[in-house]
Amino acid sequence: MLARAHTFTIDGLQVRPVAVEVDIRPGLPAFSIIGLADAPVREARERVRAAILNSGYEFPARRITANLAPADVPKAGPGLDLALACAILAASGQTSSERLASHALLGELALDGELRPSHGALAVAMAAAQAGLARLVLARSQARRAALVQGIEVAPAASLKSALRILAGGVADGAPALAANRQMPPDAARGRAGPDLGEVKGQHHAVQALILAAAGAHNLLLSGPPGTGKTMLANRLASILPPLSAQEAIEVTRIYALAGLGERLARKRPFRAPHHSISMAGLVGGSQRSWVGEVVLAHQGVLFLDELSEFARPALEALRQPLEEGRLAIVRARGAAVYPARFMLVAATNPCPCGYAGDGDRCDCGESELARHRRRLSGPLLDRIDLLVHLHREHDLHAGALTTTRRARERVLLARERQAARLAGEGVLVNAAMDAAALRRHVSLDERGDDLLRRAGAQGMLSARGQHRVLRVARTIADLEASPRVRAAHLGAALAMRPEVGLHGSRAA
Amino acid sequence: MLEPGAPGGQPGTAPANPHTACWRCLRRSWLIAELSPQLDYVYADRARLLALLALGDAELIAALAGRRRDELRERHARFARRAADRRAGVRAICRHDRSYASALRAGSAPHMLFVEGAAEAFCELDRGALVAIAGSTRASDYGREMGRALARGLAASGVSVAGALRDGIGAAALAGAAEVRGRAVCVTPGGLALAVPARHRRLAERFLRSGCALSELPPGASGRRWGHAAGERIIAALAQVTVMVEAHDTPRELAPAWMAHTLGRSVAAVPGRVTSPLSAGTHALLAGGAQLVRGASDVLELLGRRAPPVGPTSDSAPGGPDRLSPQLQQLLARVGAGEDTLDRLTAGAKDAGSVLLALSELEAIGLLARGDNGRYVPTLGA
Repeated sequence: MLARAHTFTIDGLQVRPVAVEVDIRPGLPAFSIIGLADAPVREARERVRAAILNSGYEFPARRITANLAPADVPKAGPGLDLALACAILAASGQTSSERLASHALLGELALDGELRPSHGALAVAMAAAQAGLARLVLARSQARRAALVQGIEVAPAASLKSALRILAGGVADGAPALAANRQMPPDAARGRAGPDLGEVKGQHHAVQALILAAAGAHNLLLSGPPGTGKTMLANRLASILPPLSAQEAIEVTRIYALAGLGERLARKRPFRAPHHSISMAGLVGGSQRSWVGEVVLAHQGVLFLDELSEFARPALEALRQPLEEGRLAIVRARGAAVYPARFMLVAATNPCPCGYAGDGDRCDCGESELARHRRRLSGPLLDRIDLLVHLHREHDLHAGALTTTRRARERVLLARERQAARLAGEGVLVNAAMDAAALRRHVSLDERGDDLLRRAGAQGMLSARGQHRVLRVARTIADLEASPRVRAAHLGAALAMRPEVGLHGSRAA
Repeated sequence: MLEPGAPGGQPGTAPANPHTACWRCLRRSWLIAELSPQLDYVYADRARLLALLALGDAELIAALAGRRRDELRERHARFARRAADRRAGVRAICRHDRSYASALRAGSAPHMLFVEGAAEAFCELDRGALVAIAGSTRASDYGREMGRALARGLAASGVSVAGALRDGIGAAALAGAAEVRGRAVCVTPGGLALAVPARHRRLAERFLRSGCALSELPPGASGRRWGHAAGERIIAALAQVTVMVEAHDTPRELAPAWMAHTLGRSVAAVPGRVTSPLSAGTHALLAGGAQLVRGASDVLELLGRRAPPVGPTSDSAPGGPDRLSPQLQQLLARVGAGEDTLDRLTAGAKDAGSVLLALSELEAIGLLARGDNGRYVPTLGA
């Protein structure tokens, strides 16, 4: 007899449907699994046999062939156990096979028949809903997360036995509790004590810039000698960003779960700070072992590149597509994939290789070193930076903090709300994402501002692209101050933080 | 061995073609290129370097060639004119040529020069005034801005400007002269067309349109450290005035002033802040009697000229600083007094936004510029 069950396998960040077909025929007792299964799947034979017998069912002493279709997709992990066991029981007539067609089954089996969680429950739930299946049966500990997905009923099961009960039309284990859980907890981001902006003494200009960057999702470059607080500031950026929306939280959780970095529901925005020795494959993903790179893990969060000038050139070049398009398309020998990668870039750099340029006479870098440093920074990446902040040694050691995380976050949230209201219908949520046409519609300068912009252009301070950047930043400054128009003061502040390099970089050389 | 058309090379008699060096002078530059590695050993001792470069060919071989003496003597004796490398756009002029600058006919000055760029600029040297602008290769934004503004002002009033094609003051001065298409002269440490580091190539292209580059080595010879010192001696000899803009108080950075002084040319210096080590050298010169330079007009006065009426300026600027609003004037004064970072300028301000606006406005009308580390630098306008 033949039976077919539905489950899913995980390949990088993609979830692929797998049909488990089991055929039982008379013959010498044998159990073979075909269809590109990896070692954990092949070992499923022993687990499934023991689980079936220990649950009080009979393991057919005949010739069993299990095919995992489609045959050309590699199947990985032990999550296919439950589907395999149910298909065998259905094929041998020990349970009804009619409901197998509408159920997705996910989970690893223990030898005693207990159902264990396998990673990627949220992603599998999304894929199952998309495939049009009615119910997803999975381990109890994963039910709450999977229940966040709309359009599919989640049926938690404690063991193989309860799974069969559900397939026969019985109730799930602990199902009623799930209904209340459909919604994200409203205060997902509350109640955690991360680093606080109140700990940053002095450096008011840089703190302002940080808030500005968070408000408009602008990319930020911090430059300054060691010990001026570049890393300290960057670490506090994630805490002043608006909390994840339910949709964003699901996206982030899905990525982390599929990458095997934990199944817990994401509550704060990711903050990824890879070391500068990272390779291109590490940053964008796609090497044999890890398909998910730092850029993807920073989705909906912050990617912080400390010591920007020390990163390998290919790694930095690879950032251009995600910065521009918010997604990452990679093609490797094993296949091609498109990943979401919308993040804020925050970079920090020393002003020169030794770190002390401009700090009295302390710098002892040679001419060529300085030139090389400048060249590395002024590459294509600097073109994607909206704000450049120079930090200098704080002279006033008793300087107070400008603000706290709580207050800064309120300002950011308000500014984001104003942006969202104004940009409704533009298809973008934040000022940083405005294109030239949107800029024309949403940025109207007063007379003094117009004059300033014209002069700045004539003086060679701005390129055409630089002009757009400055206008976007000016729009965010106006939003922070709840000003419907962009006034000259907003433009002036944006100009003072523009990333164009100094006069001797551009004019004299 | 002797080419038929080559002149004998008696001092004072000019070759037929005004832009053809005599073979003896070509041989001299070949010899110096051959001995370049040996010369590099004495690059730090400028007095010794000058003494060596003042020697005749035979003595030079005896002094430096070591084990290669016999071989070099033989090749020297058999030197043929065609062995000299020729390159398009490069002219060779020797001291036996009428147009050769008379300032270069004495002492350790080179016997001949290869010239690239506007050759008229070189021929003008004897007639017009030339000012050398020198200083540290690791200059501050203030120093580079001063070097640029001085060169720009001088070039605009018809004075040639000489500087080293190196980072810092030299490059800033050459860039300033190129901005107004003035005559600029630089000396490269190696042969022409090779010695330019890639990062200066664009600058070189710009100033070569109206100025010229000089070298005493044949085209293509690689540059060595002694070439910088040798270049300083040529510039010091050509210039009536050498202006030191910014320099540490070390013999190496003050070498241009020392060379100019030993040649009897006048030395001038730009003051800086007393606490800045980058101005220690110029302050030492000023204390020792160098002329004080506050701007291009001071240098013109030293040359015995009157300040120009109005130089060609870029200016979108609506007049000088006097026509600014009080707030902008006050801010400009604060930046000039050393409060040059955004943090310090906005500290204590009631409305930081208006300070930022004022800074951007000053930058947009060209009275302020942003330096390398985000520090603001006042510019001199023209």
